[in-house]
Amino acid sequence: MRQAWRRLTTAVGFALLEHARNRFALVLVVFYIPFWLSMVHWFVDPAPSRFLLRATGRTVTVDAGRLTMISGALNAVTLIVGFMMFMSTFKSLAFDRRLALAGYPRVPLLVAKVAALVLASAATAAYATAVICWYWDPVRPVLLAAGLFSAAVGYGGIGILLGAFLRHELEGMFVIIMTSLLDTMLQNPVSNPGASKDGVQLLPEYGPTQVSVAAGFSGAVPYGHLLLGPLWFAVMWLAATAAFGLRTRSHLPKAPPVPAPGRADLA
Amino acid sequence: MPGPPPALHVRDVHKSYRARHVLRGVSLALEPGTLAGVVGENGAGKTTLLRILSGQLAADRGEAVVRGTLGHCPQEAVLNDFLTVAQHLRYFRVAYGLRDTHRAEELLEELRFGEYRHTRAGELSGGTRQKLNLTLALMHDPGVLLLDEPYQGFDWETYLRFWQVAGRLRERGRCVLVVSHLAWDTGRLDVLYRLREGAVEPWRPAPVPDPSYGDPSVAVGASR
Repeated sequence: MRQAWRRLTTAVGFALLEHARNRFALVLVVFYIPFWLSMVHWFVDPAPSRFLLRATGRTVTVDAGRLTMISGALNAVTLIVGFMMFMSTFKSLAFDRRLALAGYPRVPLLVAKVAALVLASAATAAYATAVICWYWDPVRPVLLAAGLFSAAVGYGGIGILLGAFLRHELEGMFVIIMTSLLDTMLQNPVSNPGASKDGVQLLPEYGPTQVSVAAGFSGAVPYGHLLLGPLWFAVMWLAATAAFGLRTRSHLPKAPPVPAPGRADLA
Repeated sequence: MPGPPPALHVRDVHKSYRARHVLRGVSLALEPGTLAGVVGENGAGKTTLLRILSGQLAADRGEAVVRGTLGHCPQEAVLNDFLTVAQHLRYFRVAYGLRDTHRAEELLEELRFGEYRHTRAGELSGGTRQKLNLTLALMHDPGVLLLDEPYQGFDWETYLRFWQVAGRLRERGRCVLVVSHLAWDTGRLDVLYRLREGAVEPWRPAPVPDPSYGDPSVAVGASR
């Protein structure tokens, strides 16, 4: 039990340290989010825009600039966290395989990635919410942060799966960028105000978009939709666990050890 | 009376990548206390063979059996660039379930890179990365050690120290298999195999002048 705890804390500690030392990701978080949201603030016309908020079943008429800012924040956090988790999983796969073949159980290695994902998602979502609050006052800022967090963990799960599954860096970057772009475009309240086609619920950003828009413009708390992001994460993480297990397993048969001659001399 | 069972036993191992047959029936058996070498040209399948022996790759046919603990030093240093040398040792100490890093500290001193203990792997030179790569494979004192081009990037002094370390491992009954594309310093090996056309055969290369023996402390370029 003590050994299992030590394995878990060691893996979590080093995973967090690795992310804290990843300067590129930190720069991306610190500068990209305010840059993106400031662009929306300056360039998008604040005309009234109608949007079917499926979370409450009502159509709301709100400022298009603010609506686009929420959509932009979702796009930014999903890209950053998805990309961050993809790169860290992809780049450390050979190292993780070496650890696994040396005897490190895979579960703590994967749990460590989840711990890093949760912290990175929470920090990114809180920061993006703070930037939005700099420009205007959402009705429920904490719920908005929760919506962005649920989007980030969903895409973080996708990033871990792609990192454990794909063999080339460019493939993963392309898939994450295109998925996030398509997802955001298809649910963008401005480009698709009705969001009325069945099937839109199956997109990873659907739940987080509904929660974030509800948090920005209404007092409703759509608990069910809040769980959709983490559900995406759970499904992706399970698939990632299978891919990670397959790619780090040992193919050697177990054989009884033999005492090496001279071993006793070591004592 | 039969001898001890082989520490490493490879029986008729085959491996293909699509239509390309890389290994076509590799067989060899190494007893404990053997320092062996496998040489072969680039692309002969040396790394594929070591990946099968280390459990990273499944053979299409045949079997590789390792008795005892295994250490594997891959050709490319497999490290985490964000972690320091000391953090790597701590991570692998937990992986191997060791009580301390005593053996790793010994290797740090033997290979002369203790001064980089608190340097991140991403900032190390190629040779020092390779020293850390080797230390991670050796720090649990494995019974069978697989080394893929282990002295790549080493300076002359470190190269000689490497052979001293390998020789001591053999004396202590460890089985060491060194894979290289160069067939020099073969006099240091108990047995040498050549990997050719997908199979290994015992090999005795033509004798060449051997300047490599000696005390590393008096080697050209050795630090005093």
